[in-house]
Amino acid sequence: MIKAFTKMKSLDLTERLGLVSYRNQAKSDIKPHIEVDTDICNSTCPHKCTTYVCPANCYTMDEDGQVHFQVEDCIECGTCMYACDQGAVDWNYPDPEIGRGVTWNFG
Amino acid sequence: MDEKFDCIIVGAGIAGLAAAMTLARNNMKFLLIEKGEFAGSKNVSGGVLWGSDLAKLVPEYWKEEDGGWERFINHRRLTFMDDQSTFSIDFKSSHFNETPYSGVVVLRSKFDRWLAGKVQDAIDESDYAMESFIATNIKVDEILMEDDKAVGIRTGEEEFHADSVIISEGVNNLLTRQVGLQDDYVPADHMLTGIKEVIRYDQKVLEDRFQLNGLSGMSNEFVGFATDGVEGGGFLYTNRDTISLGLVAGIKDMREKEKSPHDLLNTFKAHPVIQDTIQGGEVVEYSAHVVSSGDKRAMPKEVYKDGVLLCGESANLLMNAGKAIQGMDYAMRSGILGAETIIKAKERDDFTSNTLSEYKQALEDSYVMKDINSFQDAVHMLHNPTMYQDVPNLICDFGRKFFTIDSKPTKKSREMMKESIKEHSSYWDLMKIGFKGAKSL
Repeated sequence: MIKAFTKMKSLDLTERLGLVSYRNQAKSDIKPHIEVDTDICNSTCPHKCTTYVCPANCYTMDEDGQVHFQVEDCIECGTCMYACDQGAVDWNYPDPEIGRGVTWNFG
Repeated sequence: MDEKFDCIIVGAGIAGLAAAMTLARNNMKFLLIEKGEFAGSKNVSGGVLWGSDLAKLVPEYWKEEDGGWERFINHRRLTFMDDQSTFSIDFKSSHFNETPYSGVVVLRSKFDRWLAGKVQDAIDESDYAMESFIATNIKVDEILMEDDKAVGIRTGEEEFHADSVIISEGVNNLLTRQVGLQDDYVPADHMLTGIKEVIRYDQKVLEDRFQLNGLSGMSNEFVGFATDGVEGGGFLYTNRDTISLGLVAGIKDMREKEKSPHDLLNTFKAHPVIQDTIQGGEVVEYSAHVVSSGDKRAMPKEVYKDGVLLCGESANLLMNAGKAIQGMDYAMRSGILGAETIIKAKERDDFTSNTLSEYKQALEDSYVMKDINSFQDAVHMLHNPTMYQDVPNLICDFGRKFFTIDSKPTKKSREMMKESIKEHSSYWDLMKIGFKGAKSL
């Protein structure tokens, strides 16, 4: 029997982020390097686009349509800094000592 | 540390490392600061380093058994895609086997680290072997300004002083904004998100699949279905035993079309032709980074001011004009030119705009700004929906008609082309694009 090649499985985002190395991964009290004023997201923002353009899904929307931000998986790509045109994202790099940030194995 | 440096370079990416290498070779006293654990640890690219400047920084780098680069490019492919098909322009030539190579594939975590080692060697051989440094794990919080002239940097509570500062911090250019060379908010219009997977194979499998010989490699760019209606394109580059597979997608377009980059990447990977190409591999890293488009409208107002120069992507020096995505080579050249200007400034003891403006002129006279200036129309054209949607669809539709042999009378190719154009675009749109294309390339 001629067998077709097995298709490569698509990874979901959790599996993808599982491949990323972070600094201070074990620390629980990291200081977020990005500050998001979610009051803006949840009051006047017409698109809440960070909830879908962030490649690490750091911005999530709950059942009530409220935007929440968690910095833990951030890979410092910068997308949200440009995508947010509402002034809600105050973007910075993590502190090398006390922040969580990415260290690429391949890059 | 009280001592003043000739120059502080912020960011040990390709621009910063090229600048540092040039300064070290010219016996300048400098500090190269990197926020990551090591040079390259926070850097992502597609990526091919085009051009031959690497040979200037590291002469005969190809002779090194395990240099920082992956493979040299002797095989180029540009692929148009619809949902089922691919139609490629494919060019391979032994001409590209000659050194210096005209393009090498790199993985930045390895490449930048290797290049930083070469810079350290150059420091060790310079007059300031004990007084020039590559310092990692330091985030620069602020460029210190006195009377609107840069005089050093601040990190936390600590300050370091210098006659000049080279900002080579990359596309997310917070310090460039702080010194007033770029607006505080840069809109998404000319910015894209690059997203990529590194996929590993048995090296023999990789070499057989992509017909690689020794360290030869292939670069493949994709337009059309790759980005599922979002402006941008896809890429596949061969590394030693991995491939870099990814997309660049316009941020504004994703915002408006409500698309997620990671979903786009899965759609791209699920394309039947891509599936056949990548099957059997294991994803070993997922990464993303913003990249600028090469549209001059997104560039900083100026690339210098008193005591400061902007090099690499902090000045948005990057371009995709359809032939290749160039950015790392621009970074390298601008770093070299920036450092050469700093050396002149030191000779004249004048670090004001009077001397530093010569950097802008050198950049304008180099292929970097010459190409960015002459291919602006091509950049605009590639971000036109006709180009990233209609044209790939009609090319693939024509391909399907042309290559179909089904025991019925065959139409002339001209007829087929007419039908494909009617179905996917219009003569008028194509004429507009064709006219622009003829002018821009």
